[in-house]
Amino acid sequence: MEYDYIKEKTPPVREDRLGSCGVFGGTCCGLSNQSQKGCLNTLKRTFSQTQGCQLNLSLAILNTIRDSVIIVHGPLGCGGGSSIFSAGLTRNLQRMRDPGASGLVWINTNLDETDVIKGGEQKLKEAILYADRELRPSSIIIVNSCVPALIGDDIDAIVAEVQPEVNAKVMPVHCEGFKTKIMASAYDSVYHGILRHMIREPDETTRVNETDLEKMKVKYRISRTVNVFNVSSMSRTDETELARIIKGLDLNVNFFPCYAHPNDFDRINEAALNVSICATHDDYFSGHLKEKYGIPFIIDTIPIGIKNTNRWILEIAKFFEIEESAEKLIATETRALEEALVPYRQALTGKRVFLTGGEIRIFATANLFENLGMKVIGFKSYHYDHFVDGLLDNVTDKENVSISVGVGQPFEQVNVINKLKPDIFVGHSGTNGVAAKQGIPVFPIFGQTANYMGYSGVFEVARRLNRILKNPSFNRNLSENTELPYFKDWFEKDAFSYIAGGQDV
Amino acid sequence: MSKFIDRPRYLCALGGAIATLSNLPRTIPIIHAAAGCGGNIFAALNGGSGYIGSGYCGGQALPSSNVGEKDIVFGGEERLEEEIENTLKIMDGDLYFVTTGCMVEMIGDDAISVARRFKDKGTPIFAADTGGFHGNSFKGYEIVLKTLFAEYVTKKTGKKADTVNLWGIVPIQDVFWKGNLTVFKKLLGELGFHVNTFFGEGETLDNLKNAGEATLNIVASETFGIEAAQVFQEVHGVPFVSIPFPIGPHGTEEFLRQAGVALKVTDRKIENVIKKEKTHYYDYIQRLAEIYNDIDLQRYAVIVGDSNYSPALSQFLAEDMGWLPELVIITDILSDEQKTLVSKRFANYSSKVKPEIVFDTDTSNVKKHINRHWPENHGQRYYDAFSPAFIVGSAFERDAAEKFGAPHLSVTYPISNRVVLDRAYAGYSGALSLTEDIFSLLVGNR
Repeated sequence: MEYDYIKEKTPPVREDRLGSCGVFGGTCCGLSNQSQKGCLNTLKRTFSQTQGCQLNLSLAILNTIRDSVIIVHGPLGCGGGSSIFSAGLTRNLQRMRDPGASGLVWINTNLDETDVIKGGEQKLKEAILYADRELRPSSIIIVNSCVPALIGDDIDAIVAEVQPEVNAKVMPVHCEGFKTKIMASAYDSVYHGILRHMIREPDETTRVNETDLEKMKVKYRISRTVNVFNVSSMSRTDETELARIIKGLDLNVNFFPCYAHPNDFDRINEAALNVSICATHDDYFSGHLKEKYGIPFIIDTIPIGIKNTNRWILEIAKFFEIEESAEKLIATETRALEEALVPYRQALTGKRVFLTGGEIRIFATANLFENLGMKVIGFKSYHYDHFVDGLLDNVTDKENVSISVGVGQPFEQVNVINKLKPDIFVGHSGTNGVAAKQGIPVFPIFGQTANYMGYSGVFEVARRLNRILKNPSFNRNLSENTELPYFKDWFEKDAFSYIAGGQDV
Repeated sequence: MSKFIDRPRYLCALGGAIATLSNLPRTIPIIHAAAGCGGNIFAALNGGSGYIGSGYCGGQALPSSNVGEKDIVFGGEERLEEEIENTLKIMDGDLYFVTTGCMVEMIGDDAISVARRFKDKGTPIFAADTGGFHGNSFKGYEIVLKTLFAEYVTKKTGKKADTVNLWGIVPIQDVFWKGNLTVFKKLLGELGFHVNTFFGEGETLDNLKNAGEATLNIVASETFGIEAAQVFQEVHGVPFVSIPFPIGPHGTEEFLRQAGVALKVTDRKIENVIKKEKTHYYDYIQRLAEIYNDIDLQRYAVIVGDSNYSPALSQFLAEDMGWLPELVIITDILSDEQKTLVSKRFANYSSKVKPEIVFDTDTSNVKKHINRHWPENHGQRYYDAFSPAFIVGSAFERDAAEKFGAPHLSVTYPISNRVVLDRAYAGYSGALSLTEDIFSLLVGNR
């Protein structure tokens, strides 16, 4: 794959760049077949429920960047979700990295009926100048919404015009919601902005008395440093665990982009290797950084579950040619973990589990649960692209295991859950509540304050899951006392009745 | 000309419309907009409302046409028609309501006509243009109510003398709306009236449908729901009275007197209700006589919030609680006439307290106003500080509270740091809850 998209002002969307699909309903085997035939992109829903857009997801990432002001260029509602919902938590999470962090400050340009006709560039300009003058952040990040894109505001021109007047790094992000139904396009949109505007070549500084030894020390440090690309859905404890593992290999680690300071990005090239924890997130960033700085990268698996964590470590070790010490670390870690898991394995064996969430994460998490003796009976994947082809083929009983592709769509989910009746629903926020109202115990598939990754993550997941199953009364009571907004006969029908197109088109 | 807003405390018109519709009984809102609008709005509604959840048909259950780039080029009406047709097969509701987002309005989709084709076949379906750029959440509330009052509420010739409708308490923007509506229902019930609140406990769509029978509409606000009341009056001939939203004995007494006069209730009856409520209120409040005075629980206060809550909170703190709410920041987008009207609420306190009123939509300015009102210590030996202090605002005011070292209670939208269920702050009973919440913070570390 070639990565030279950053020449353009705007990034491509995932449908075009990766052929990602957002609609499917059937079995893992069926999805694999359709994918090979290349007919997934002709599928559509003739009934759909609301989801999210790439602007929402862009904000989930960008809101974490410290010492920054976010400007949402759009009408008042745009971005309200991520900002209002997460303002308090974001501040606390930023402070886990920097006790003095100011938390989340954002501005909405409040485009109204007049602006829709006359354009909103002036308001954006005033917002940037206000942010710089009054709030003095290190960076000002502009996220562009649908309305200014349709009326033709040239936000890059505004940025170029005001940048000389303001102190902060000004970074536009093109994440207009209507352009894509694959929310994961947000990762490319955000990284596009970071690559073009946030990363600045540091000034060449020559220290007067820098000795050859000092120069070599710097070089050596860089040769033993990896950048790990974190995601906003992971926790500080996940990072701590991954850092512990990497330090166990005698390597240094930096985390980007979430919770980084804008100036940190200037030193992103001070690493020997970039490591992804999830292909859905980072191929665009890793690929471009390789083009730009020649830094090699690994995109292989997400370190969730024993198998994937081991594999993630080995891939890094292979690069540094330290497989032997990695094998030792893996053996020690695995032995201690296996011992600790014994009681949970007994309690969880045979439980039937249904998973929803990002494509990479659900398959890795499924593997973790299978390893604990549980049985995976179905998936809902937020989107689908070639990164999971291999994972799909590895699913046990793939002819029968149900899978749908789509964000949210609880009408399909309630139908499937009603038929499959899993013992546990492992879900992405957004449709956990509806599974709860069907009386199913729910285990959240990600959490910004809980540990899922690495060896400690396996133990913590097993421990929490076991706890949740000990008393699922809350959800059971809900199911007996709440109503879902669907006609009774909907539950008799095929869950994917409203997916049209595909092979016949 | 409008300007940008630093951390707005409301969503767009579509956001207000969804907040309103998804809290009507058995109502299915249908969104004709890009895929993200509904999801984004739900996150803000849930996260800012003390966790209201998705209710009967909210959150990701909201039917949405999810128009994309292709629809924006070729028009989205066909997609909307398909979406409505299938919604009617899957989603079980008694009222369907099509709302629109910015994009479909900008490309000229006529959602109202599409919906009318279904309505003509007998489906209880309505539609309104609610594109985000029309205004904020309060605008969305107004648009939805106007449409329902004009089209859903049936024309009645006979009036029921003992029935009134009450609104102006905006679901979610008033995080305590449901509890508050119950308070009003009970209070006016004591005056002998049956009250339709449309959104409150035990309400059905029939209450809304038959609302034309009411003898009077009471808008418990001077700024929200007034346009809807005018439409109601034009279409159904029911007059309205706008009475400020009250918290505590002073405000609620005024509310009851004004409502009583409009409803032609005898003075004696009004005075009896006031006396009974006040006796009940002070039976509890007198418990604080010791602790309030033993450790001096009077505070300077800053209030930040909308135009319903800010005057009500200020009056409660100054007149009932004996505090000094010296600075009040009102964060709504208001016309000059509305600003004048709201400002009048702060005049003539019997306590002689005169709060400084600021109209400012920008959250970062809250700290600036506090600094201006209580100038920082420039090394003076004797310094009159903003202390002892208390901040009543939204979750956003945690920043200011932290900076000034003041205790803080989230009362106005957004509230992400509390869970809110049936709690109310309106009236006498609500003021008891508010007193509990405020003073619990003050004794919390003992």
